[in-house]
Amino acid sequence: MKKLKLAVTTLLLCSPLVSADVNFTGFASITAGKVLSGDGVPQYDVPPTFLADYPIVSAYGEEWSFRQESLFGLQVQADLADKLTATAQVVARGADDFDASLEWAFLSYELNPNWTLQVGKKRLPLFYYSDFYDVGFAYTWIRPPADTYTWQVFNYNGVNLLYQGTLNDWSLAANFYTGSEKSENNRLLSQFFFLEPTTEEWKDILGAVLNLSNEWLEIRGTAMTYTNERTRSGVPTTWGGKTERDGTFLGLALNMTFGQAFVLTELNQLELDDDGQLDSLMVSVGYNFDGFTPFLAYSELDQTGNFLDGSVIADGEDHNTTSVGFRYDFHPSAAFKLQYDDVKDNSFDYAVAGDSKSLSASIDLVF
Amino acid sequence: MIKKICLASIIAFSSASFADVAVIVHPSNDSALDAKSVARIFTGKMKSFPNGNQIIPVNLAAGNDVTKEFNSKALNRSESQLKAYWSKLVFTGKGTPPQEVPNADEAIKLVASNPNTISFVDASKVSGDVKVVLKL
Repeated sequence: MKKLKLAVTTLLLCSPLVSADVNFTGFASITAGKVLSGDGVPQYDVPPTFLADYPIVSAYGEEWSFRQESLFGLQVQADLADKLTATAQVVARGADDFDASLEWAFLSYELNPNWTLQVGKKRLPLFYYSDFYDVGFAYTWIRPPADTYTWQVFNYNGVNLLYQGTLNDWSLAANFYTGSEKSENNRLLSQFFFLEPTTEEWKDILGAVLNLSNEWLEIRGTAMTYTNERTRSGVPTTWGGKTERDGTFLGLALNMTFGQAFVLTELNQLELDDDGQLDSLMVSVGYNFDGFTPFLAYSELDQTGNFLDGSVIADGEDHNTTSVGFRYDFHPSAAFKLQYDDVKDNSFDYAVAGDSKSLSASIDLVF
Repeated sequence: MIKKICLASIIAFSSASFADVAVIVHPSNDSALDAKSVARIFTGKMKSFPNGNQIIPVNLAAGNDVTKEFNSKALNRSESQLKAYWSKLVFTGKGTPPQEVPNADEAIKLVASNPNTISFVDASKVSGDVKVVLKL
């Protein structure tokens, strides 16, 4: 909050001096959901739950709730000087009692028409929808399929080099980034998995994203490596006797449009010491009937491999979700969405929230 | 046969009911631009003309019939789809949509005075102050 005040004050103070061109834009989602029927996880005392969003723990129960995923975001962009811009994004989430927090703050410098350098705090561009995850208006479903997006750290502080250019008939975009993030009282780990204050640190993040697109096809490849440190109630976690472990993330997304029909896919793999290998995939199809877009989606996550002591992960995390719903663009800047999700949680030891069937609705807008 | 006649009349009718959209640049701009390049320019994927000059795309106001026509013909997107596309770029710090002008006169005035700009207007409104690079 202090940081936010400082940032806003700085912007206000600076702007008249350098005659900055300040732009305000924003996005909002009002989302409600409930579990229609669910098993929960009796062995971990979890009641019937639909975990719609892992990183911010949007856990719906059997009563309608508006709090879990509703959010309001405001972005301020100031053109400070020739080719230099400052951007800040403040997001207030229902899950945080709508306490506003500064989620992004970065400086952007256009080196030339192709290359841009960004420094500061940004969303980690891990999965395809990661860096605009909060902007529901930008995609078809109520939220990107939860099984695929099971990350616990979603911002990073560092440097990002952006490229935008063309390659024959293709548009080529790329980013290269490095940095770190220390997430104190990490929501997913503290509130959902370990039920004790957990600090999750991702150090030495090094990643790249390549995106090739033409009129109907988009191919996105990504790779990232990082070093993980974790403390639970102040006690460092050890993996195979060490207080840090390495992770390697690989991802491929293929998106296709055929007239008004589209196919969206994503395939990801995370190799993490002592957690084996986590494979996730997502496939979604839909058709846009002049602003009314019904869709189907399937996503899954499956954990296999070995612990560091060599033993096999026999009953790793294993869950999938089948979703059906629609998006209706009732206004050029606002959409109504309705979605039904059927979650199957197949693991006993690594059960997350159990089987569930749920319904959610949202209004997403941008301004 | 009846089907064919219907189809033909639909095509004839639809082309008659919509005006052509002219993509305009400064008279000194000698760039040859095809539909693909125009689509790239107005979606922020192409930032300089073949001659190396920086491109400043200028949109007509959203909701304008010519804008709708341009969005559908050149960008193959509805207004709402285009907004979703730009949301993704704006809120990830990767781009900003073109600036908007309220009408064809403003677009022509701006393009006639700045060799870096490119815009689109109803083809019937084109004046000698600008050059038409493409008709859609």
